[in-house]
Amino acid sequence: MSTLLSPTGPRWVVVRQHRTALWTAAAAVAASAALVTALRMWDDAVPGTNQDNGYALLRIGMDYAAMLLLALPLLIGAFVAGPMVARELESGTYKLALTQSVTPRRWLASKLVIAVTVTAVGTLALMGVFALGRSRVANEYLFSWDERGTYEATGTVLLSYCLLAVAVGALVGQLVRRTLVAMAATGVVLGVVQLVLTALRWDFLPVRTLTGPYGADLLVPDEGLYMDSGLISTSGQRLPGWYCPEPLTENGICRSDVDIAAQYIDYHPASHFWPTQLIETGIVLALTALVLAAAFKVLRARHA
Amino acid sequence: MTGPVIEAEGLGKRYGRGRGQAQGQGRGWALRDCSFQLPAGRVCALVGPNGAGKSTLLALAAGLLRPTEGAIRGPGRDRLAYVAQDKPLYPQLTVDETLRMGAELNPGRWDAATARRIVTDGGLDPTTRVRALSGGQRTRVALALALAKRPELLLLDEPMADLDPLARHQLMGALMADAAEHGTSVVMSSHILTELEGACDHLLLVDGGRIRLGGPIDDLLAAHTLLTGPVADLAPHTVVESRTTGRQLTALIRAQGRVDGPWETAEPTLEELLLAHLRSPQAPTLLTEGATA
Repeated sequence: MSTLLSPTGPRWVVVRQHRTALWTAAAAVAASAALVTALRMWDDAVPGTNQDNGYALLRIGMDYAAMLLLALPLLIGAFVAGPMVARELESGTYKLALTQSVTPRRWLASKLVIAVTVTAVGTLALMGVFALGRSRVANEYLFSWDERGTYEATGTVLLSYCLLAVAVGALVGQLVRRTLVAMAATGVVLGVVQLVLTALRWDFLPVRTLTGPYGADLLVPDEGLYMDSGLISTSGQRLPGWYCPEPLTENGICRSDVDIAAQYIDYHPASHFWPTQLIETGIVLALTALVLAAAFKVLRARHA
Repeated sequence: MTGPVIEAEGLGKRYGRGRGQAQGQGRGWALRDCSFQLPAGRVCALVGPNGAGKSTLLALAAGLLRPTEGAIRGPGRDRLAYVAQDKPLYPQLTVDETLRMGAELNPGRWDAATARRIVTDGGLDPTTRVRALSGGQRTRVALALALAKRPELLLLDEPMADLDPLARHQLMGALMADAAEHGTSVVMSSHILTELEGACDHLLLVDGGRIRLGGPIDDLLAAHTLLTGPVADLAPHTVVESRTTGRQLTALIRAQGRVDGPWETAEPTLEELLLAHLRSPQAPTLLTEGATA
């Protein structure tokens, strides 16, 4: 914390330059903690029921909180790219900063140290606030472990995206050199990375498959994440659930002369949460290292 | 006297695709094939028309830009100070905080008393934010940052452009006194010659991305002769510029040996010397002794 509270050298300059943003970030974390605490107390005022206004508001609030936390990396990346890096290049203050005794490398490193420190502290604090609010609504509809927002904010994935955001901001800010354009471009890049990995994350681990006799109910085990389901022929071939030709029997299932032996359901058990988190975190941190190396390479090529 | 403080060899800078920053030249070479030396302890005027490559040369000397070709050697970034043309400062910092920044970024070199003196001499309130300062006040703060670093080489790009004549005179005086006291080498650019004349003892004329003239001002003036008189053959002298009106010839030459002829001769003024070269782009480059690389 001494990095933030009593910085020296170029770090002092970075903290002083962005003092307003630092106070704003601290105030936002404090306000979110106060809000969640207040909603929990309101919920407590009517014990034993899920039908009171406090509970309803807490649910709505947590719904928004999940979405906002998904946008947190975009916000962090845009700030690093725009006000921290591109603005120096756009307004010309880099000519001042890069002709002082400290090297360009230290200049960029100081910005990144401050950004990473604030990002880590702030993100962990917000994840704590989210966990505090979520403890009341966990595993209810839209708040299960695999839900977008909840998944990211309750593991290591969100923090890794926020660190990637700092690195992407440092690179894009240098390449684009225009504050607003750099902010937008960073947001787009980070948004695309998140969308791609969100689409891929449930393919990291092989699904579990449950099979059962045809005609009986077959359900995803408790807390499992449904992936796919269908029918299985006598030769073991998988068939889609809508395979049965018309007409169906009175019970609405396939006629017995159609070749159906069983049915299956693919799912991820809740125990896949941490392995999936760690694989995704590893991918994002590897990307972060690559982007960071590129950012310093650009700096070296431009300013010796 | 120690060796040169700046040494350039075949120095060239071309601005990259899509970023035509060389004013007046669009894309392409802002500076090409520049070789010169600047002896230490000089106060050098870097003159030339707008877009000639003065700012590029200073930014290369400051290590802000990488040369596209050739090399420029000079003090490292801890031993030089550079004030860019637009006097960049952080607008959200106060004057005091700006000076604190100078101390934080230049540990072991910072001269707080000098910085304080330059700022208070201008009657600046140290708690004023930089964004509230006038152009001249910003120049003063930028110069305070540069001088308090105790540089061996001070690079100033159009330093006095934002100042009224009185402040210009006062600040230039303070600058020269400080440089003389500490033996600082100074390079300052301007497209207004009168801004620099009298303060400088050395000259670099940059035009069209090339060095046209370089050397001690006295030597450069002595190497040229202004002729007026009847039209006659100017050989064997090097002609920089000659104009005839009727039967009257006016010419600026570099004399090869004694000037024998029917002309009246005079040493040109610095302004006549520079204008003649700017009007005659084909005139050969002249770097006097000590200024050649």
